[in-house]
Amino acid sequence: MSIATMREIEFRDAVREAMSEEMRRDMRVMLMGEEVAQYNGAYKVSRGMLDEFGPRRVIDTPISESGFAGMAIGAAMMGLRPIVEFMSWSFSLVAADPILNNAPKMLYMSGGQFGCPIVFRGNDGAGGQLGSTHSWSVEGLFSNVPGIKMVIPSNPYDAKGLMKTAIRDDDPVFFLESERLLSMRGEVPEEEYLIPFGQARIARAGTDCTIVAFGRMVNIALEVGIELEKEGISCEVLDMRTIRPLDAASIIRSVKRTGACVVVDQSWSFGSPGSEVAALVHRECFDDLDNYVHRVHSADVPAPYAHNLEQEYLPNARRIAEAVRSCLYRS
Amino acid sequence: MEAGTIVRWNVKEGDTVSSGDVVADVETDKATMEMPVFDDGVISKIMVEAGRQVPVGTPIAIITVDGDDAGSIVAVAAAPVAVAAKSLPINSAPAKIAVAAPNASASASASASASASASAPSVQSDAVRQRVSPLARRMAEEMGISIASIVGSGPSGRVVKQDILAEAERLKTGGARRMDLVHVASPVQSATAVVPIGAGASEVMLSGMRQAIARRLVESKSTIPHYQVTMRFNMDPLLELRTMLNAQLEPQKIKLSVNDFIVRACALAMAAHPFFNASWAGDRIILHGDVNIGVAISLPMERGGGLVVAVLAQAQRKGLREISTETRALAEKARTRGLGPEDMAGATFTISNLGMYGVDNFTAIINPPNSAILACGAAVEQPVVRNHQLVVGHEMQATLSLDHRVIDGAMASEYLQSVKHNIENPATLLV
Repeated sequence: MSIATMREIEFRDAVREAMSEEMRRDMRVMLMGEEVAQYNGAYKVSRGMLDEFGPRRVIDTPISESGFAGMAIGAAMMGLRPIVEFMSWSFSLVAADPILNNAPKMLYMSGGQFGCPIVFRGNDGAGGQLGSTHSWSVEGLFSNVPGIKMVIPSNPYDAKGLMKTAIRDDDPVFFLESERLLSMRGEVPEEEYLIPFGQARIARAGTDCTIVAFGRMVNIALEVGIELEKEGISCEVLDMRTIRPLDAASIIRSVKRTGACVVVDQSWSFGSPGSEVAALVHRECFDDLDNYVHRVHSADVPAPYAHNLEQEYLPNARRIAEAVRSCLYRS
Repeated sequence: MEAGTIVRWNVKEGDTVSSGDVVADVETDKATMEMPVFDDGVISKIMVEAGRQVPVGTPIAIITVDGDDAGSIVAVAAAPVAVAAKSLPINSAPAKIAVAAPNASASASASASASASASAPSVQSDAVRQRVSPLARRMAEEMGISIASIVGSGPSGRVVKQDILAEAERLKTGGARRMDLVHVASPVQSATAVVPIGAGASEVMLSGMRQAIARRLVESKSTIPHYQVTMRFNMDPLLELRTMLNAQLEPQKIKLSVNDFIVRACALAMAAHPFFNASWAGDRIILHGDVNIGVAISLPMERGGGLVVAVLAQAQRKGLREISTETRALAEKARTRGLGPEDMAGATFTISNLGMYGVDNFTAIINPPNSAILACGAAVEQPVVRNHQLVVGHEMQATLSLDHRVIDGAMASEYLQSVKHNIENPATLLV
């Protein structure tokens, strides 16, 4: 791409551009969810889309996640390619049966007759003092289910490229955005591009310790990388981009070089992407490890409301740096 | 103890030994000790010749029992893993030496399958099972480095990548081994390259004692926040008393030294000042129950020179006569036969005295884990002011070096006042 076509836009606009471009390209693509049309989206992600595409393709739904998620599955089975916005992934839990029990199994249970090309998208993760019930990081819970794909972008460029791939994918894709990142600005080219699933990005190259991170945590890991450089510790930060499929090859390649691995995953530790990566590294890189894989997760408690507690609950720069030092026997 | 030198082998290859036989003399930090074996068998291989220093845990010999194949055991022992069974590891206390002797067939079959399985538990002694990170193990294999003799810097002594890199560097440069992380700047290594100057230059190999002195004092001076407090004592009453006592005790062949009085004065003062008989223990301070006074004794050059600290145990309970007799006996033993570990263990406070060399004053380095050391100069005859009159009298300067983590300046001054009171009123030392 040429530099002349680069501009800086917000994460929310990158997602909207991806949806709009795909809706222009493919008449079957549509958007539905609470407040997505007339209110331009609770977080203004779908601003202007009702005006461009009309009420038949940008649909305000009742406050009934189970109902409209199920409706989207039926639409997908009959040939449409719906995008379903959950105002927050925390609210998707009432739609657990359609999104976990129907969508991911449809292709299998119909003997290949019906696929389920849907993008479920919305805000994921804590960080805005929303209380225990509205601060879900669903990656641990939902990535457990075979048949789904799960995307977790860390910046506007990736958000756009991955969203376009998600819309064109024939399987149900869980697209996890972070409320804390929606206003993040980043360079995005005007030309079309797609980012394939299952390809991690080396967000920072380094030699001493591999930090495997997902979504918003990548940005915190990058800050830690800069801080630890001052202590003479060279961190390699991998932005995984997608949890399913997981780019195991990139993790293995990096850890075989560094001999040390720290995983940063904002979901709870028990049965999580972080534990999956740790198991993978211990199996594939056993003879390359100088220490066991260190993991940084949210604390194993419901998310607290108080700001100071919430900041300490989430993986933060201090906890990540401590994990890296400990992994390298420098603490 | 981290390393030992095989001073002498009492056996040679092929000799039959029984449990309890002393097979070698091993020089440790400060003493030479006898090393017994705890198995019956044949010395089939001596792996460390006399005169060499090796780290604790290094196989030094192989004892075979009935039909063991010594050759295959040598292969196992030389493999880059821990210590093979049946090899005789040099250890910190001879009484604890465990020569692992699993049943012969198990070790023979394991050793026959050679080094690939050398890390299997069946060929490792429990006493010396070594933790090694997978990466460190692989690097050692690739670089052909023996892990067995490396002291790991990771948790529970785990050998990790940086230990292998350090060992590789050491092998490359021929430098001294880094024993542990505290002593990163190994005291036996000089920070800057040293070259001999002048045609007559020569080199002196470091004895175990010289290495121990270097290591302990670097550790002390670099980890303990030292400071010093000096006080001047009027020695006239004590010297008068000493002259009188020694004249009266001469038939009994007792001769009290000035230092004996100082030892007694310091020991008695502990009752009121327990922090001078204490040790810093990281998260707390330990106040010891007994006052064990260490007395620094220099050794004659014909015994290799150097310095040992003999310990007068329970000095708070001992009178001048006992202190004098014991100190003389310890000094005599140190300068002729050498002290054993029991003569040097457990000091809680140390006194170093250079008065006999005419030194006015000096400062000493704390002898860990003590919290204080007293450095005494000579009782010098000089003009002094007594009762507003300029007269000639004897004065001695004594300088306390203190661990500021345990003792503050005012406390140090109060302790010195107590010692001063005892010395200037020497009758208190008699009862």
